[in-house]
Amino acid sequence: MITLMTGGSACGKSSYAESLAVRLNGPRYYLAAMQPYGEGGAEKIAKHRKMRRGKGFETIERYRDYASLALENKGGTALLECICNLTANEMFDDAGKVSDPYARVISGVEHVAAQCSNLIVITNDVGSDAGVYSDETMRYVRALGRINIALAQMADNVYELVAGIPIVLKGKLI
Amino acid sequence: MILIIGAEASGKREFAKSLGYSDDDFTTDPFDGKRVVYGVQSILFADHTRTQELYDALADKEVVICNEVGSGVIPIGREMRLGREAAGRLCVLLAKDAEAVVRMVCGIPTIIKGQI
Repeated sequence: MITLMTGGSACGKSSYAESLAVRLNGPRYYLAAMQPYGEGGAEKIAKHRKMRRGKGFETIERYRDYASLALENKGGTALLECICNLTANEMFDDAGKVSDPYARVISGVEHVAAQCSNLIVITNDVGSDAGVYSDETMRYVRALGRINIALAQMADNVYELVAGIPIVLKGKLI
Repeated sequence: MILIIGAEASGKREFAKSLGYSDDDFTTDPFDGKRVVYGVQSILFADHTRTQELYDALADKEVVICNEVGSGVIPIGREMRLGREAAGRLCVLLAKDAEAVVRMVCGIPTIIKGQI
């Protein structure tokens, strides 16, 4: 079963997703796609690590190429955070080369989902402002939008988190 | 009129197509007589003073599509700041008249007013 969570920054997606994951069967994996860029990135990662402590997650830090990830123990619960980072990492490689991330992100999620009984995927809506950004950034915003639509189609449940409250857009609350 | 709002690339035009409209029905120009107008926010980003004129033109359309643009940082530039405000206010005006308002998130429609 795939559950997709979206919502703005700091709307409670991570903590809701974690509390959901601990109610589902183990083994539990936390798949971290965020690269620790700068002070802010490191702080965010430290905060999320602290939140997960003692909840029985094995953390796998992986920035791209989920299509070749093999989970040691199959049939458990995985929490993938987050699609906005994974999309950026798949779109811009370490050498700065830009390519369309869509197929790699979608096949990666499908590959992980096939190895778990529950996959929780966190994403973000970054297209809800009036920012007029560089062409490259707008390509990213649109790629993430397309990926979110495809993930929502794949998912059994889709929630939008608003102030920590899940609003069910598809499926049901689990 | 049906108003469809949502983030950039959230599936707004695809949803309009699911209502039976085809590519030929879509336009970004409210004055060219086509049935579905999209990208309305861009007109106001270019000239924020056109709210009333756009409202008058769009009220008679079958479908109006506008990005939700008010959830980020307030833009520093005056013209963009006023354009963003105007886009929000225009959506409020259009939503009052609309027989249905649909909000798209991740390609999923939520009907927040009326029915389709």
